[in-house]
Amino acid sequence: MYRSRNRPKKGGENEVKGPNSALTQFLREEGISAENIKQRWYQQSKKRRDENDEKKEDVEDVDDDDLTAENSQVVDDKELDDVETGSDTESGKVEVSYEARMKLVTADSDEEEYETSSVSGTPISLSTANNRKLLAKKKKAAAKIIQNRRRKRKRAADLLDRRVNKVSSLQSLCIGKISENIYKWQKDANESSKLVFNRLRDVLGGVSTANLNNLAKALSKNRALNDHTLQLFLKTDLTKLTFNDCSKISFDGYKTLAIFSPHLTKLSLQMCGQLNNESLLYIAEKLPNLEALYLDGPFLINEDTWEAFFTIMKDRLKEFHISNTHRFTDRSLSNLLVNCSSSLVSFGLSRLDSVSNYALLPQYLVNDDFHTLCIEYPFNEEDVNDEIIINILGQVGGTLRTLVLNGCAELTDSMIINGLTAFIPEKCRLEVLSLEESDQITTDSLVYFFNKVELNKLTKCSFRRCLQLGDMAVIELLLNGAKDSLISLSFNSLKELTEEAFVALACPNLTYIDLGFVRCVNDSIIQMLGEQNPKLTVIDVFGDNLVTENAKTRPGLTLIGRQSDSI
Amino acid sequence: MCQDPVTLVSKDNKEYEVSRSAAMVSPTLKAMIEGSFEENKGRIELKQFDSHILEKVVEYLNYNFKYGGTNVEEDDEEDEIPEFDIPTEMSLELLLAADYLSI
Repeated sequence: MYRSRNRPKKGGENEVKGPNSALTQFLREEGISAENIKQRWYQQSKKRRDENDEKKEDVEDVDDDDLTAENSQVVDDKELDDVETGSDTESGKVEVSYEARMKLVTADSDEEEYETSSVSGTPISLSTANNRKLLAKKKKAAAKIIQNRRRKRKRAADLLDRRVNKVSSLQSLCIGKISENIYKWQKDANESSKLVFNRLRDVLGGVSTANLNNLAKALSKNRALNDHTLQLFLKTDLTKLTFNDCSKISFDGYKTLAIFSPHLTKLSLQMCGQLNNESLLYIAEKLPNLEALYLDGPFLINEDTWEAFFTIMKDRLKEFHISNTHRFTDRSLSNLLVNCSSSLVSFGLSRLDSVSNYALLPQYLVNDDFHTLCIEYPFNEEDVNDEIIINILGQVGGTLRTLVLNGCAELTDSMIINGLTAFIPEKCRLEVLSLEESDQITTDSLVYFFNKVELNKLTKCSFRRCLQLGDMAVIELLLNGAKDSLISLSFNSLKELTEEAFVALACPNLTYIDLGFVRCVNDSIIQMLGEQNPKLTVIDVFGDNLVTENAKTRPGLTLIGRQSDSI
Repeated sequence: MCQDPVTLVSKDNKEYEVSRSAAMVSPTLKAMIEGSFEENKGRIELKQFDSHILEKVVEYLNYNFKYGGTNVEEDDEEDEIPEFDIPTEMSLELLLAADYLSI
């Protein structure tokens, strides 16, 4: 059983929550904030001033006594200094030097913001009324600047959150409120919260599945999904469930889930670090209809358990995607393929450091309906080479709808020409094509591919960081049937692209395009894209320094990552 | 097009008036108003909701109509949208209502 010894108690204060960094969280816990520091400075300087005022009064009293000869007192002081006496005069000196400092301070623009109208001594405030007016004016100006700054920051934050609509829907407002309160409740007494959740579940019974999924998303985003909040989802008739952040769900939580949601067919558990051997087998046994499992980070599951799991799921598992675990080894992979390959139609491996024998795949992926293949970020790039992918495509290329080969940097033009072009039928079903970070693929092979194969179902396409691609690849893609079906496109970091590539970019259904670090993109290209693509709502322009605040966009189109928005 | 306000009726027969254009914010209400049923006369019975929920819904319809509409021109205004306050105890029921009205 996995239990971290230094994990804080449930609901502890020092939990990193939401989009804050750990540093922000720490500063907040320690009560360190710019405002605090400023206030402390205020208090200290006020205290000092008060003390000085008191002392000054004393001095003045003395002065009143011998009004006649101030000079003589100075002389006296000098005389007395020699004999080292008179603490009163000492403080007088301190006071003078402090006032002198304050005088100097008025000339320093940095400190002006903190100036108050009563700058202690009489000598400065010759025309207090005037001063006060000036200070009030300054204060007003400062307040305005601060407000502007805050406004700008909020706008930038909204942009980054992709909040295009200014007014969020009532549903999302409610979900936000609920998740916020769930977090609060769970911090309060654990006993009473149980009752609350029972009630919550009763009420939530009528909420549509879509909203239940939204609630799961909202909870995950706030890192508030745990054994307590999990209870909201224990609906007996739920068939599909996705949790994007399970890091706080304990192994017991997974078991409860398996018991109370027996109809689940598809389960996605991301960041499921606490999922252990026992609960995985429990899930396999208690969910008789389960046929799709997506796991991210199940690093507690060992080889033996994987073997047992695949034996239980034999001929039942249709979709299996796994990422981020070093305990899923070549042996586990072969167990999976031996037991479940006949039923497998969707398969994904990503960031698995102990898997190297990808050459096993071609002979096992044989299902006639196989539609999704994702092989991403192998530990050794050489393990996923052209030959393997060509062989896989030879088996399932005809039915493939999703092909994701991100981070397989070993792939070359040979894969495109002898694999994609050769085995994907002319009227292909491909909907998603992602070849990110394949920096050996060149324009020529893609031009050939787009020329030969009609991609009229392609909706999502990414060539992020395929550094060698140039204009012709993009133009050929747009001359292809894909032009009418494309919804999302990524040309991130294609530094070779020029304005020419974008002239032809007119897709009736395109809603999102990532043009980050495509250096040629400028204001006029942005304007042109807005006009040519009626449904385009978001353009990512991170790192495009030619896109300025003068870029003209039609209403409904948002630029994200523009330098002028955040600085 | 008729510009009369629309009346929404709650479970306990309380009536809430809302301008026709604000009601159009909700696709559900829009369909009811524009449809060929009894509701197009401007009286819509939402008997599944309590009056306090409906009151909040009407408040939101007006809020959304005021700030979320097409009057986007002024950049400054944009940032001064007040937050829409939802009492905690109401949030779940309100979610159901919002779900139903697709707002």
